Amino acid sequence: MESLPKPLLKIMPQLMLQQVMCSALEIIINKALSLNINSNEQLNNLEQKTLAVKLAELGFPLCFSISDCKVLVTKLIDRADCTITTSIKTLRELKKEQHLTELIKQDKLDVEGDIKIAQYFASLAETMDIDWQTELAKHIGDVATHKLVQFSKLVKGKIDFASEQIQADASEYLVHEKQLVVTKSQINHFNQAVTAVNMQTEQVENRINQLFDNLRIKT
Amino acid sequence: MSSQEQNHQENNRNAENTTHFGYKTVDKDDKVSMVASVFHSVAAQYDVMNDLMSFGIHRLWKRFTIDASGVRPGNTVLDLAGGTGDLTAKFSQLVGREGKVILADINSSMLNVGRDKLRDRGLVQNIEYVQANAQYLPFEDNTFDIVTIAFGLRNVTDKDMALRSIYRVLKPGGRLLVLEFSKPEHELVNKAYDFYSFNILPKIGELVAKDGDSYQYLAESIRMHPDQETLKSMMNDAGFEQTSFKNLTGGVVALHKGYKF
Ligand SMILES: C[S@@+](CC[C@H](N)C(=O)[O-])C[C@H]1O[C@@H](n2cnc3c(N)ncnc32)[C@H](O)[C@@H]1O
Repeated sequence: MESLPKPLLKIMPQLMLQQVMCSALEIIINKALSLNINSNEQLNNLEQKTLAVKLAELGFPLCFSISDCKVLVTKLIDRADCTITTSIKTLRELKKEQHLTELIKQDKLDVEGDIKIAQYFASLAETMDIDWQTELAKHIGDVATHKLVQFSKLVKGKIDFASEQIQADASEYLVHEKQLVVTKSQINHFNQAVTAVNMQTEQVENRINQLFDNLRIKT
Repeated sequence: MSSQEQNHQENNRNAENTTHFGYKTVDKDDKVSMVASVFHSVAAQYDVMNDLMSFGIHRLWKRFTIDASGVRPGNTVLDLAGGTGDLTAKFSQLVGREGKVILADINSSMLNVGRDKLRDRGLVQNIEYVQANAQYLPFEDNTFDIVTIAFGLRNVTDKDMALRSIYRVLKPGGRLLVLEFSKPEHELVNKAYDFYSFNILPKIGELVAKDGDSYQYLAESIRMHPDQETLKSMMNDAGFEQTSFKNLTGGVVALHKGYKF
């Protein structure tokens, strides 16, 4: 998808479509969260934290803030703890073998700020497992629900995959690019070093004991 | 003194002591109580009527205001003429436990409806309720990061005085957001809007809230409110800097913003 049509972008502020979109997202996400009993702990980690997502096609940021286990969707970019800049196109093209770091290097995706916040949000999105079919049918009837569910399965697939990628690749990014996290091989290396020091200490101890023994024999 | 001069002086004195209540010219002292009786009378039905009359669009106007406020966790916010607290509710969530929101209104009935509504929603931790007149704000100088007044300013008797009072209580770097009905940009919208406000709106008021007069006042007060440019220069006169406005829904409503530095 290219950017939204120019006339639409122009008229969006007048019709306040941005606010309509934020409002709809807020309702859907909070509904999903209210059905998910496991999300509260994750939400507590994110109290008053904000993730901003800037999608090139949209022309305005979507900011997700957490307050008292609820999600608020605004355009308040100044309060963002972490900002992801990318495009719907990139998210669509996201292939299994493509990594976050690659996209960053190709300038297709940029992460600014505290990447842990993005990870928390991504894992929260993963836990939102809801029976849309039943929930929607209650409101809009079976036929409409069937059509919507088919469509949203397609979208959900994309989102699930994107959040998986963000989760998996964020840790890789932390390790290689920012060198913030200790890797398994670094731990092994450290363990080996500790073992070596241990052995050396034992040797020194033996040596000292020997010296003491020698001294005792002489006196 | 000639009789002409006498007349002129008399007129001046009248102009000083009078103001508009909708299209009527009334004594300044009387306007406060007349506005009070309007809002005492509409308080209970206020939220339902707001949704009905604006087709729910007032929620989007308010969202736009929040988006423009730049609110951050820990901020202190004054929602002036806050009525039933729509903006307060959002701000309360966005400033978090470290922050504070004060819902101030001159009218006890509106404040009570607001307090009950917000408590029912579980919003209790960081909200205070203060009965206050926008012209004489009972707060220390330099208290607030943000002051908002949504659909309130046109009901205030002395708007310049209220703007100066708001300026005083804002912190340096703080900002004022005025959300208010304004002048539609296009003549066609203006005509449609006039027809709606004077023919349909009071009827809805009569039917639903059994109170056509209050909604007639609403329509008239909107027309008497200063247009975009006038309000902007009033804000400048009160000391605000970098003042600007954004028209919403074709100028039916405008959001004015100004900073204190
Ligand atoms: C139309 S309501 C707006 C309420 C709310 N801000 C909203 O947007 O839904 C106007 C409010 O202004 C209040 N008001 C009128 N004159 C005032 C004054 N001088 N000082 C403070 N509040 C005032 C009224 O009591 C009323 O609650």
